[in-house]
Formats: sequence, C-alpha cells, structure tokens
Amino acid sequence: MLCGVTAGAWLGAAEAPTKLVTLGLSPVVISLSMVIGVFLARWTIPALIQGTSYVAADLRQAPHLIVWAVLAGCLWAVANTLTIFAVRDVGLSIAFPLWNSNSLLGIIWGIVFFRELRGADRRRWLGVIGGALLMFVGGTALAAASAAQVPAKDAMRGVAAALAAGALWGTMYIPYRKAYLTGMSPLSFITFFTVGELGMMTALALTYSGGATELWSQLSGAKHVLFWLLAGGFVWVVGDLFQQYAVKYAGITRGIPLSNTNQLWGLLWGILVFGELRGASQSVLAQVIGGSLVMAIGAGLIALSSVSGTEHARWEEAAADEAGRYGVDPEYTRARIAGEDAGSRRRRTWIDWAVVTVATAVIVRFALVARSPQIALNTGWAIALVMATLAMLALAASSLWRTTRFN
Amino acid sequence: MRDVREQNTGSWLGLVLRDAQFWVPVGVLVAGLLVLRWIS
Repeated sequence: MLCGVTAGAWLGAAEAPTKLVTLGLSPVVISLSMVIGVFLARWTIPALIQGTSYVAADLRQAPHLIVWAVLAGCLWAVANTLTIFAVRDVGLSIAFPLWNSNSLLGIIWGIVFFRELRGADRRRWLGVIGGALLMFVGGTALAAASAAQVPAKDAMRGVAAALAAGALWGTMYIPYRKAYLTGMSPLSFITFFTVGELGMMTALALTYSGGATELWSQLSGAKHVLFWLLAGGFVWVVGDLFQQYAVKYAGITRGIPLSNTNQLWGLLWGILVFGELRGASQSVLAQVIGGSLVMAIGAGLIALSSVSGTEHARWEEAAADEAGRYGVDPEYTRARIAGEDAGSRRRRTWIDWAVVTVATAVIVRFALVARSPQIALNTGWAIALVMATLAMLALAASSLWRTTRFN
Repeated sequence: MRDVREQNTGSWLGLVLRDAQFWVPVGVLVAGLLVLRWIS
C-alpha cells in the first residue's frame, strides 16, 4: 500500500515535463526523449540494486516473460505518446482523470484473469470497487472543473487520446501481474520491458516525424530541453517501480488505484507550480477541491481493504496455474511471491558498472547543454513538492528493503 | 545443446502464443495504434 501511494507521488511529478509541449515541441519528440530517460533509468537502477547477473538468473527461470515484458513496453510507449497529444489538446488537469480510468480496467482484468478479490469478504469488495468508483467520480469532477477552458475543436481528439491511453495502461497490468504471479522480480521485468518501450517509441517517432533525418533535426533543435524530458522519464521509472511492487504485493485491484493518486500530485504540480486554473471562478475551485477530496477518500478506502488470507490463497492458486502452464519451478514461484531470493545471488560485475557509467555520462552530457525552459513556474512550491516526494521515496524504499530486499 | 535450447525457445514461445490472455493486450495495442494514427 505504501508503494502504491509513493508511486502516485512520483508518477505525478513525472508528468510535469510534459508541460514542455506548450513550448511547441512535437509530441513524439517529447515522448521519445522521455523514453530514452526511462531506458537509461531502467537499466541503471536494476544494475545498481541487484546486478545484471540477478536479472539473468530470473530470466533462466521464466524466459517466456521476455515476450510479456516487451509487449507491456510497447503498450506503455503508445499510451505515453497518446497522453502527450491529450495534454496538448485538453490540458493536464482534464487529461489526467481520463487516462486514470485505467485503474477501473485494471481491476476488471485482475478479477477476470488473476482471481483477485476472490474469497474476499463483502467489506473488501465494497472498499476496492467503491474506492475505485469514488476515485473515478472525483477525477471526473476535476475534469469538468476545467473543461470549459478548452477549445471545443481540440477537445474530442484530446479526450479520445486520453481514454485510449487509459485502455492501454489498464491492459498493461496483465503482463505485469503475469510476471509477478510467476515470481519475477520487478527490477528484472522492467529491464526487458524497456526494450519494447524504446523499440516501439523509436518506430513511432520515425513514422510520425517523417523519417530519420527529420527526427534527428527535431531532436537537435530541442537539445536544450532534452535533459528535462530525460529527467522526467527517470522520475517516471522510480514511480513505476513502486507501482510494480504495489501490483506484486497488493495486486492490481489495490496497487493501481492507489498509484493513481498521481492525479492529485499532478493537480498540485499544475496548480501550485505551473499556475493552472489561475483566475478560475469560485465554483470551479470548489469543484477541484471537492473532486480531489473524493479521490483521496476513494484511495483511503482501497488502502484499508488489504488482502485477506483467503484471497491470498486464491492468488497462490493462480500462481500455481501460471507456473504449471509455462513449466516454471513451483518452488521459485512460491519463494518469490513471499519476497524471498529463491537461491539467486546479488553481485555486481564490470557489466553493471559499465551500464551505470554510460547512463550517467549520457545524462551529464545532456545536462551540460540544458537551459532552463522558458515556462513560468513557482520555485518555492516546486521545491516543497520535490522534498515531499523525496521523503516518500525514502520511507517506501526503506520499508520495502526491510521486508523484501527489493524482491 | 544448441538444438535443445532452440527447441525450448520454440516451446515457450508456442505456449505464449497459445495463451488466450496474450491476445488481449495485443488487440488493445493494435487499437491504440489506430487511435494514434487517427488523432495525429
């Protein structure tokens, strides 16, 4: 549950760089740059925490998960590109709740495919379904609050993009859950996830930019802000990592709605740092505050509906089916679901240090040519939000390390 | 040894392709690409 809430804070912060779309950068260039940042982070963090040998050991146990991870990465890349179109056409405040409908879809997949909530008592069913619906209602109120400020011509396209992104992200949790029921470590899964992500995003960028030369020219033209987009991708990875742990240990039905509190964080960034809704009427502000409170109550209800022993037994049945279907060692699956190492050893080799060095060099290279984006922001609030987000990271990471050693 | 590995690879790939759950994300991905083409 703590991982889910922390994921919300980091995923919300990662959306802030998408505001750069207002500077006239192409959505695919923004998305590709973020994905490059994601790629760097997704190889660096596992290399630092576990070592690539641990990832390789995971892969030997369940090689079929490469396909699932690459597929999930493709879903993510298309969804992320759609969100940038959505932000451009309807703004962050409206797009966020629409694509966050992914949690409702995720809950459906969790119940239908992975026996989540089976064996749970009525109070837990009500907590999860009621909480998710409250979050959706709150999100819709937030959307309605600022809908009047958007030109009608772009609204339909933006809404379609945001809803499609929600469907893609909601479905992306099928590969996630499949991997974690089998026992794979989230740190190993994301390493291959990112291959699909970067491959799909490169293909999209080449297609929609009009070829490699044009894409290169756009990237070169945007080199002064690329660092901020890379940083956004890096921040997103931290949030996503906690989301993955939340899905692993709390299931889709709890983990995803909790991480969707990122909408509240996105709203805080939008209003406090970027001055969105400035000059809005009292009724619009009341709607925003009301919608946010309803969302927070929904998240609270879900957080209180923890997994019962009976429900956990059903998860184990689903995990055993999964292991049986793909011929994975049942002992590996059992140990990993319990957060144990299952015989794999963590050690870092020169490969890990080479990965970390190259990634750091790329980020430093972009940082050296970066300029502050010409966008109005409130520095005081930005610092306050960054501090709060870092505090949540420290709390969740130390708790996760104590209980699972990041398994 | 190599033959065995290739056989195993073919085997788990076949299992993935025969898994009905696999085609749900594939279908959604195709639909997402179509929406992207429409809006861009």
